[in-house]
Amino acid sequence: MYEYIVEMRNITKRFPGIVANDNITIQIKKGEIYAILGENGAGKSTLMSILFGMYEPDEGEIWIRGEKVKILSPNHAAKLNIGMVHQHFKLVSNYTVTENIILGVEPIKKLFGIIPYVDIKGANEKVAELSKKYGLKVDPTQKIEDMDVSLQQRVEILKMLYREAEILIFDEPTALLTPQETDYLLKIIEELRNGGKTIILISHKLEEIKRVADRCAILRKGKLIDVLDVKTASTKTMANLMVGREVSLEIEKKPAKFGDVVLEVENLSVRNQDNVEVVKNVSFKIHSGEIFAIAGVAGNGQVELADAIAGLTEISNGTIKLNGEDISHYTVRERTIKGISYIPEDRQTYGLILDFTLAENLALKDYYKEPFCQKGKLNKDVINEYGRKLIEKYDIRSSLGVNTKVRQMSGGNQQKAIVAREIELDSPLMIFVQPTRGLDVGAIENIQKMIVEERDKGKAILLVSLELDEIMNIADTIAIIYNGEILKVAPKEELTVEEVGEYMMGVTA
Amino acid sequence: MSEKTINKKKENTFIRIILKLVGNEKWQHITIPILLILLSFIAASIIILILGKNPLMAIYNLFQGAGIFPKPSYAAHKSMLTDFLSLLNYMTPMIFASLAVAIALKGGLFNIGVSGQMLLAGFIATITIGYSNLNWGLAKPLVLIVGMVAGGILGGLIGFLKYKFNINEVVSSIMFNYIVEYVLSFFIHSYYIDPVSRQSRYISDASRLTLVNVELFGLKMDISIGFIIAIILAVVLKRFFDKSRVGFEIKAVGANPKGAKYAGINVGKTIILTMTLSGVFAGLAGVTYYLGYFASIQPKTLASVGFDGVAVALLGNTNPYGIIASSFLISIIDRGSNYMNSMAGVRKEIASVITGMILLFSACNAYIQHKIRMKKDKLEHVAGKEHEE
Repeated sequence: MYEYIVEMRNITKRFPGIVANDNITIQIKKGEIYAILGENGAGKSTLMSILFGMYEPDEGEIWIRGEKVKILSPNHAAKLNIGMVHQHFKLVSNYTVTENIILGVEPIKKLFGIIPYVDIKGANEKVAELSKKYGLKVDPTQKIEDMDVSLQQRVEILKMLYREAEILIFDEPTALLTPQETDYLLKIIEELRNGGKTIILISHKLEEIKRVADRCAILRKGKLIDVLDVKTASTKTMANLMVGREVSLEIEKKPAKFGDVVLEVENLSVRNQDNVEVVKNVSFKIHSGEIFAIAGVAGNGQVELADAIAGLTEISNGTIKLNGEDISHYTVRERTIKGISYIPEDRQTYGLILDFTLAENLALKDYYKEPFCQKGKLNKDVINEYGRKLIEKYDIRSSLGVNTKVRQMSGGNQQKAIVAREIELDSPLMIFVQPTRGLDVGAIENIQKMIVEERDKGKAILLVSLELDEIMNIADTIAIIYNGEILKVAPKEELTVEEVGEYMMGVTA
Repeated sequence: MSEKTINKKKENTFIRIILKLVGNEKWQHITIPILLILLSFIAASIIILILGKNPLMAIYNLFQGAGIFPKPSYAAHKSMLTDFLSLLNYMTPMIFASLAVAIALKGGLFNIGVSGQMLLAGFIATITIGYSNLNWGLAKPLVLIVGMVAGGILGGLIGFLKYKFNINEVVSSIMFNYIVEYVLSFFIHSYYIDPVSRQSRYISDASRLTLVNVELFGLKMDISIGFIIAIILAVVLKRFFDKSRVGFEIKAVGANPKGAKYAGINVGKTIILTMTLSGVFAGLAGVTYYLGYFASIQPKTLASVGFDGVAVALLGNTNPYGIIASSFLISIIDRGSNYMNSMAGVRKEIASVITGMILLFSACNAYIQHKIRMKKDKLEHVAGKEHEE
């Protein structure tokens, strides 16, 4: 018998210019939920990619079930009953659930004993059975393109289970989920553990580790800092160890001092491409020195609302006034000049031009102005100088400084670049949509602090977030959006987390 | 030491030599294409060998025919310089056409309608200026201007259709190719036909952009005015995309239209502008082709150089300087093929095979770059380990 189902001994992995994993040893027992905690770029994903056979370690040994192994490929890992749910799903969108699951391991039957065919029916039954056993609620015959993110993730889980994986690796599984979906997923993970599976959970979210994990390894800058027993360790200790300094989970805020009305939205309606009304007759006001947060479950019109104010989407009805001026039909650039900063939800599609350099992206909203551009000619020196200044000020990390192609930067640093650019615009109205999505505690703390600082400078801030904690943490006024309508607007002090949660689900009573 | 390790050592030395040549990332955008072109000539040589001919001779003949190396004998009033100048004359429309494709590609658009724009520009310049009695000082600049305007309008129209009605520019430009080809054939047949040659009547010498049979140093040669303009405009275009605000906006729309819109760029306007600019260059290709390299228009045919421009632009990595180099190379192969055929007995179609190979290999550019990086990392790592031991 073996003591540990997975043992990674003295693993070292180097990439050009960086040691991603430096002599890391972890030992995982059968039937536990083992969390791996670390900031963006701490080496969590590299370590798990090694276990899943995607990278070969430069040094160190891997032992599975008491036997020394060399894992050469993900297929090889699958043979060792190791499965992984990646951050970005690997599913064929116009195939059904079952078709996706059996892809590559199709059960073959023979018609009349000679003509081979794929036994979809049998596979459907098996998938349905697995789904039922672990409470996944997945319909085997549904197509992937008709499913939301959380269901797709469960298909990935089923895929591992179908292949009889015993060791399940989850790579930041809750990054794209709403609070409710996260809840559900964590329950599933516990269910899987109770069913005898071993779970490795990569995450930088402390609450969920605290909730489900048994033990937790903390990585920082490629080194193993500590392995903690989650039951006895506090979230605070874990956060400090992970970031390497004192982190305050609560943002200190002075009481808000509201000034004049900056943004006034009246009876605003927006229709989407299919001509469905996604924002319905919304009205609200934001004052200078106010953080106005819109809470809501994803897909309830908050992104369209923000897009409409920033000018990316046309409105079908109503008016938008900025400092008393009707800007409802201004172009994006006119609005930027009038004073709107916008951090969009989808940073890679909207917020950045990935094939441009970091300096160019940092100047993306100013490039046409003096001194960046004189008489139609761009001044690269000024642009680069400005880039260097922002990189320094906002601690944006990249391999080649201002000349780095943004595509090659990590998600967290891409986000920092957008935040830097938009805050530097110094606009009276700042729209932040999910500004801390996908960031680690340290970076979240910094960005939240910056938002509060901007408020104290007298900016009006519209914050759209799916993270209820974030909203409760920094908002002055909370509006809850449900199905395109604003159900409730109230000062933060008058609402409890539970009340906001209920409104988010559409309960108005 | 076993044989295996010796072989391994040998292999490593070989890889090291290759890496030494093309490993420097700063120069890779030049060194890798050169390596790939060499590889494609090697591959073509194998084919010529299989055909039972001497590949070195064939390739040498190819360059002789194009005027890069001297031929053993020349006709009266001809020399290597004559051949070389007609190579430049041949190459001029190709540079313009490829630049037209490259401009569109930078803006995320695919202008497959360069041939149609060329024909329209060539036709309008022919009937307005080519058949007029204007003297050369007036006629030549006017031909250029009329060509640019005509090409620009057709290109801009394609951009407008995309912006206004969301019509894919590939579809509309192919349609315009047909429309221009057949409508203009009708006019040429009806009004401008030369009954003997079955082509449009020749234009006046004053309006022609190539000076034909100029006597210099006792030689007769064709001097292309367009070539000089092409080189100047390529340099201007390079600076335009590197330095100007509008160039930046075109590249932004090409790289990410949604991001460009978010940044406040007027995407629709930029699309129209990009296609207009592309059309202007296609127009220049048209006038240097129909009123330069030729002096008449053959009805019911589109110039193949408009389509070759796509390949040449890609081979030049949409960089104007790269395009000058790739046009030069492709022109040599085109121009030298006849001479290769007669001297080495290698059929001229083999020249097209070589062109095809170059394009095929150049499509692997990114892959090769990736491979080299991997090898470099590995070797450096091995070297590091050996050092430690």
